Amino acid sequence: MSDLVISTFETEAKRERSAIGSLRIVQTACIFVIALVIVSPLFMLVIASLKDDRFQILADMGSFRAFWVSNPTLSNFAEVGNLSGELAFGRYLLNSLIILATTVGAGLIINSMAGFVLAWGSLRGRALILSLVIALYVIPQESIIMPLVIMVSRAGITDTFTVQIVPWVASPLYIFLFYQFFAQLPKELFEAAEMDGASVFRIYRSIFLPLSLPALATVSILMGIESWNQYLWPILVTQTDYARPISVAIATFFGQDSIYWDRAMAASVLMMIPILALYLVFQRWFVSSFVGSAVKG
Amino acid sequence: MGNRLLSMLVASAAFGVVMSHAEAKTVIHMMHQGDPGWVTTYGEVAKRFEAANPDVDIELIYAPHDAYNEKFSAAVMSKQLPDLMELDAPFLANYVWSGYLQPIKPLIDQDILDDMTESNVAQGTYPIDKDLYAVGLTDSSVVLYGNRKYLEAIGARIPKGVGDAWTREEFEGYLEKLSKLEGVKWPIDTFRGYGIKTEWITYAYGPILQSAGCDLIDRKTWKSVGTLDSDPCVDALTMMQKWVKNGWVVPQSSGTNQFFAEGHPAALAFGGHWFYAEAAASMKDDIVVMPLPKFGPKGASPNGTWIWGITTASEHPDIAGKFLSFMLKDKQYRDYARDDSAYPGLKSFAADSPLYSAGGPMALAFEQASKTAVARPPHPAYPTITSAFMGAVDEIFNGGDVKAALTAAAEKIDEDIEENDGYPPFDEQQ
Repeated sequence: MSDLVISTFETEAKRERSAIGSLRIVQTACIFVIALVIVSPLFMLVIASLKDDRFQILADMGSFRAFWVSNPTLSNFAEVGNLSGELAFGRYLLNSLIILATTVGAGLIINSMAGFVLAWGSLRGRALILSLVIALYVIPQESIIMPLVIMVSRAGITDTFTVQIVPWVASPLYIFLFYQFFAQLPKELFEAAEMDGASVFRIYRSIFLPLSLPALATVSILMGIESWNQYLWPILVTQTDYARPISVAIATFFGQDSIYWDRAMAASVLMMIPILALYLVFQRWFVSSFVGSAVKG
Repeated sequence: MGNRLLSMLVASAAFGVVMSHAEAKTVIHMMHQGDPGWVTTYGEVAKRFEAANPDVDIELIYAPHDAYNEKFSAAVMSKQLPDLMELDAPFLANYVWSGYLQPIKPLIDQDILDDMTESNVAQGTYPIDKDLYAVGLTDSSVVLYGNRKYLEAIGARIPKGVGDAWTREEFEGYLEKLSKLEGVKWPIDTFRGYGIKTEWITYAYGPILQSAGCDLIDRKTWKSVGTLDSDPCVDALTMMQKWVKNGWVVPQSSGTNQFFAEGHPAALAFGGHWFYAEAAASMKDDIVVMPLPKFGPKGASPNGTWIWGITTASEHPDIAGKFLSFMLKDKQYRDYARDDSAYPGLKSFAADSPLYSAGGPMALAFEQASKTAVARPPHPAYPTITSAFMGAVDEIFNGGDVKAALTAAAEKIDEDIEENDGYPPFDEQQ
């Protein structure tokens, strides 16, 4: 009798393990398919950049041939790299990096300060200001872009790095993200520091900011991508290659009569590398900060 | 100490001399679009001009093709219009009406004016005062390209000149025969791949309406209702919708090279002059250049391209004109344009272009421009006209009701004109 019970338990356990195993296989397969869908455009971009015939790239786009290159070549990268003068991609890449670093750097300080004040500051009408910040978020950038062009033109800052950084440093979305993060932190932290005689700025700088690594990482990634991909704004407010970013330079390959897919793809790959590197660096920081805070309990 | 002070004074004086010399330069801003080849060419022309005129600095402002209008609007709003600008010919009337361009005749060399083709003059002329506001080295046209092997296989007549272009019946008959021919996946590529964000639909399909006996807008009364939705236009667009429904036209998703792609899946191509170089390189002797078919009582073909105008904001229009004249005569600029198979807008450039000169493979295209070219409506409402028409064609090609789509487009155009009080003095032209 007892042997029979044990045997039934074992059978059921086996069945359960087998069911769990099957479920895992299905889950893994689903994750693999989703990952494939997400990664495939990037993969296609890299493959296309290694093809030497722009018409072939176009013809291959609708089929699986888009993911295969029989005679890979780096000639497209060489052509992009060899462009000089008005089209020197190195210059545009450097411009993009300067704009990105400054925008993100200043953005982290300004938005985190604003978020902190809204969460813990003692100013009057905080709730109203917060509602206004959220309301500002729903206004699309395109609807204010022309008045903004007039403003920066009157300020005399067109064709500079400043004009590409200053308008985008403060953002309702990032202020709100920081606000939410700071508001969730325990009240005791603020009170204890206050009792020790720390000023509001000291509490922000020495206690809350170091604790906000996940928010800082998230905002860095989002802001970095946004700044890197700016296209219309730099076209409208810059005239020369002095401060123009790489996204404008890539547009030269989309001509009136022809699109130079080969070089556009190579330039896009070059453009993708720095932002991908930035993302990977910040993502690691983002994950480690979570783990660190969990261990410290 | 005394020596250091002296050196600083000398250095400051030298710096001051250099700065005052730099400040003395006249800066001419030129806004343009174009692919990397053109951007480089403009840069080199500017350097040559600066070398010949050390007191002038040419500053190039590049605006991507797909964001050119936005850049222009931003320049207008921020009062930063350049001295010299490239503009798409059909938008000229809008720019002149808005007061952004100045007459160009007194500013450029007479020999260039004398050298302009009729079509080039037409694309740069404002219909109200009949004055010339822009000039270009180039112009453009669309022809019918054919694959000789396929045409011979169906026994098609190959026209020798504009006078014996295919009739509508012949054209549709050939399309049907080609659709049944082995190896032909699509009888014709009408370049739907260019999409609706370019000028292609209005530029290339507009002449089909004009050939069929109607137009986008009545060019005397400047009313679109009764013209764009008239029977001949409805008939012409129904005909094109039928080509799409029958599967005779290369779909938008298949790109713009099916005529010369591997296996040559498209038998005919309703393509721009710029298409020739790439198609001929791939097809060799199999490529046939033919005039556009006559879809009704007369032949019609498009013209117009990106040309150069001098803005009213320019503080040195004479120098801008001098640079423009220099550029239009510059040998390297012309060589690059010729190698890019650019369509001639100056007679001297045509004579120097083996492709378009008498006996050249595209000579028929050049002949066509002089006989059947019809400029797009030279009216300030053109931006609305083209946008409304392109939307209607897109709807029709996607199976929409032809009459309803054209009526909606015509009403939209008339509404814009009414909202602007008829764009005086265009309202007094009737």
